[in-house]
Amino acid sequence: MAARTSSRAGPDSAAVGGLYCYGVTWAEVGPPDGASGVGGEAVGVVADGGLAALTSAVASMAIKAKRRDLLNHSEVLAAALERGTVLPLRFGVVFEDESALVDEFLRPRREELERLLRQFEGRVELTVRADYDEQAILAEVVNDNPRIARLREETRQGNAAATYPLKVELGELVAAELRKRTDRDQRALLDRLRKLAVDFEVDQEPIEHQVLRASFLVEREKVSAFDDAMEELAREHAGRIRFKYVGPLAPHSFVSVGPSGAV
Amino acid sequence: MAIATQGTASNYLQRAPSPSGLADVIDLILDKGLVIDAYVRIAVIGIELITIDARIVIASVDTYLRFAEAVNRLDLTQTEAAGLAELRGDNGGGDKEKGMIEGAKEAFSGDRRQKERSEKD
Repeated sequence: MAARTSSRAGPDSAAVGGLYCYGVTWAEVGPPDGASGVGGEAVGVVADGGLAALTSAVASMAIKAKRRDLLNHSEVLAAALERGTVLPLRFGVVFEDESALVDEFLRPRREELERLLRQFEGRVELTVRADYDEQAILAEVVNDNPRIARLREETRQGNAAATYPLKVELGELVAAELRKRTDRDQRALLDRLRKLAVDFEVDQEPIEHQVLRASFLVEREKVSAFDDAMEELAREHAGRIRFKYVGPLAPHSFVSVGPSGAV
Repeated sequence: MAIATQGTASNYLQRAPSPSGLADVIDLILDKGLVIDAYVRIAVIGIELITIDARIVIASVDTYLRFAEAVNRLDLTQTEAAGLAELRGDNGGGDKEKGMIEGAKEAFSGDRRQKERSEKD
């Protein structure tokens, strides 16, 4: 029943530092190939029962994270996903050593982690960002709203002091139009994409000119249908909305565990 | 690495198998993923080089003035191809007060998108 380690993430190398943890997979999946971890360390596994944590040694418990480390965390999980189901941990989780990882995480939460691994079997996260092309959307707004078009003409010339109140009014109307369009377009995009997803999550923080930022949990066999839907949407909105579509990813937005002791 | 898809929309759909930029990675791994409390020590003391380019929308006079300037600077003759489809078609603007998706599609997509109607569920 002893915890087993492969690669360099062994107890010796972790003696003074800690053990960084990326995520949890089934033990039979094994460590991902080729991805290097936080601080450039090799990624190994710590297995217990049927579960395995993806880990690498860190020199100290206090990590000063660099840009490369964030990217590596993400790449380790992407590489793991190619081999099997993986539950991604948030960036920055460090255990004191291997036995702490097993005794305080893998073992007490075994049932919960196994249930999650089964739940996400064959499912991946796809993220979609949609942003307006600023020039195009403002042109739509001007051409679609006669009052905005008129205020625009009135404020283009004349001295700044005289046109100030009109400019504020113009800007306020433009802001309202943009909000209305964002709501409408977001709903339209979601209506199309949610049908293909098991679950989805929309980021509600309003970002300027952003139509949608959302994550979709999708069955692997539906990914190509999702690809098609994205291409259709990009064609329909060509010239006005830019899409950034990333995946398949481990289910970052959809995993969660209960509070400690809730196992 | 991002792969652009072919077709007319190629410039408007960027597809990538994994996050390519730091901002995307941050969205994914700093705010999301399993969080385990109590048993573990989360010991990240500093994240360097993080910049988020996105601007949060704040309703203020400054924002309004910025929008007004942006609209004033617009060169409508240049954006015609992208933005003025509705002027060539029928008057889609009348529907917009309803806030309906249908209205939005009419107004925004004009005659280029007839086929979409049949795809609606």
